[in-house]
Amino acid sequence: MSNAKKAIFAAIRKALPAPASAPTIAAELTQLRARVTATRPDRVSGPPDEVFLDRVQSPGVAATAERIISWDEFPAVVMRYAEQHHLAPNIALQPHPDLEALNWGGCQTHDHIHTDETLAVGLALGGIAETGTLIFHSSPQSPTLFAFLPLHHVVAVPYKNIWSWMEDYVASFDGKSPPRNVNFVTGASGTTDIEGALVRGAHGPGWLHIVVVGAAAQ
Amino acid sequence: MNAFQGRVTAALADATLKIAIDRTTNTARSKRTAAIAAWPEFAKARELGRDIKDHVIANMEYYLNQFETNAKKTGAKIHWARTGQEACEIVVGICKAANAKSVTRSKSMLGEEIGLPHALEAAGIERVETDLAEHIIQLAGEAPSHIIWPALHKTREQVGELFKAHHTDPGALETVEQMVNSARRNLREKFMAADVGISGANFLIADTGAICTVTNEGNAELTTTPPRVHIVTAGIEKLVPSMVEAMTMLRLLVRSATGAELTQYTTFHTGPKRAGDVDGPEEFHIVLVDAGRTTMLAEGLAEMLRCLRCGACMNHCVVYRQIGGHAYGATYPGPMGSVITPSLDGLEKSQDLPRACTLNGQCQEVCPVAIPLPKLIRGWRTKAWVQGYEPLHTAWALRIWEFLAVRPVLYQLASNMALRIMPVFAKGGWISKMPLAGGWTRYRDMPKPQGGTFLAQYKKHQAAK
Repeated sequence: MSNAKKAIFAAIRKALPAPASAPTIAAELTQLRARVTATRPDRVSGPPDEVFLDRVQSPGVAATAERIISWDEFPAVVMRYAEQHHLAPNIALQPHPDLEALNWGGCQTHDHIHTDETLAVGLALGGIAETGTLIFHSSPQSPTLFAFLPLHHVVAVPYKNIWSWMEDYVASFDGKSPPRNVNFVTGASGTTDIEGALVRGAHGPGWLHIVVVGAAAQ
Repeated sequence: MNAFQGRVTAALADATLKIAIDRTTNTARSKRTAAIAAWPEFAKARELGRDIKDHVIANMEYYLNQFETNAKKTGAKIHWARTGQEACEIVVGICKAANAKSVTRSKSMLGEEIGLPHALEAAGIERVETDLAEHIIQLAGEAPSHIIWPALHKTREQVGELFKAHHTDPGALETVEQMVNSARRNLREKFMAADVGISGANFLIADTGAICTVTNEGNAELTTTPPRVHIVTAGIEKLVPSMVEAMTMLRLLVRSATGAELTQYTTFHTGPKRAGDVDGPEEFHIVLVDAGRTTMLAEGLAEMLRCLRCGACMNHCVVYRQIGGHAYGATYPGPMGSVITPSLDGLEKSQDLPRACTLNGQCQEVCPVAIPLPKLIRGWRTKAWVQGYEPLHTAWALRIWEFLAVRPVLYQLASNMALRIMPVFAKGGWISKMPLAGGWTRYRDMPKPQGGTFLAQYKKHQAAK
């Protein structure tokens, strides 16, 4: 143990001379967790993917969004987005096999991201309906910078991976060790640092377009 | 006039400062109010947030050990620092070992508290502040004036002038959008060229060894991902037991800070780059800093260790909104700063801060973890009195009042005299100048006393029943 750590722990022990046992701490924590459900904003009152689509387009998150039924439709959505924003069909495609397997005819794609990338296309692990949040787990198929360097980010998210509340997402990987980065992305980059005025595209993407893929059978 | 009073006088005379403070804090207050109104469960969440922090602080030794063990398993290197100086030495040492020429830094109040910007510069390492507001004040050579909006004291016109002088090809700088775009272009290459990225941590997750950063701009991730080395500096009180508790704390923190439900970017960083990862740091260091936290624990300020650094207390403080952050002369301004600073810098140096408070209780009311700030501020005032730090005129005024207050006949006599003398100085129902009242009348008028003393009015009222 380093001298600094020893000194810090000695100071803590002096201020708190009777530490609780591990079972007592665990029991207290269980009691605290039992109170979480009653504190969550009670607003997810429908299928999570539908609430998510509403939330991401609400003024607070201010992303644009749409739903497609099949993965095959995704390249056309990206092409349409590029046209609407007058962008060249030259995209940084997140190196995920599910994206690479799609037909990107008509687009030039590359699997790395440039410092000044204009348009990147990605795949999120999932989403959270409560807050309209996309979740990315870093991996060889999901480099972190894809979500931060481009000016426009178009992201597909499978409807089945949209959880109601943040705690539901946490519970989904209970027991598994977390990836290097878990990124929650809730809207495009923004800043209010000059006189509190909100401006998009501070350092990260200025535009975020979300595409929910699939829907529950009617 | 002492140094604090000098800073306050200068701030009150600065009309531009008042405009800048109002523009940001008015927006922050109205957004927070709307966010809380849309969350009926807020009161319960606040109690839970308070109890989670109290639980962690009461069991700090247990959770610190747990965090260290789990972080080490992910490949993180853990360092411990007793003081700010020790923390700076560790960070500079890591930078030197990495042969760092350039370091990017994402906003961290702990970094400001321990003097890290100065330490990096003293070591000859280029420091690039990446948060837009920190970038602004770095260019201006100033200190932060708010913990969420460090450049709150700057108007858009002043920012435009700064960027014009310092940015390469700034283009037109007439709108805030143009200023933000210029900063984006100018900082882009700096992010990618940095050897080391330094961040703070909003939370330390004990059961995974992860650290959590919260930003709206995305600068934290651009600071921590491209460089070869990521260094985290975090206060030892930043612990939460797990991701579950982090979610509760995030709901409270973000609504209280900016009125949003979640910041645009919330990232949990767990160790260095993994096999096959395309990006991410090869080295991941976490410096756990005491710098007075254990002293606060021992001094009866454990409640202050709940603080999430949201800034709501200063946005709602009537004193902060008049004088701004620089007048406090410390890293942490406003109500939370008036409690923390005397502990960090000593009461003798910062005795004025607990007195710069009306005790109206707004800060406690808006605090997302219910810190009893007025009680803690009163505690410092008591200590200042006991240790003899009160200014002589205040001490004498209080002694005279005490003498009269326990002698009702004399007290009534004095009240009656004041009632007769004060109207002599009134014009049109208001007193704008009066001997011994310059501290009050310099900035506002006093109403002319009317209708007799309280006791006289009370007797009249009783007799009329």
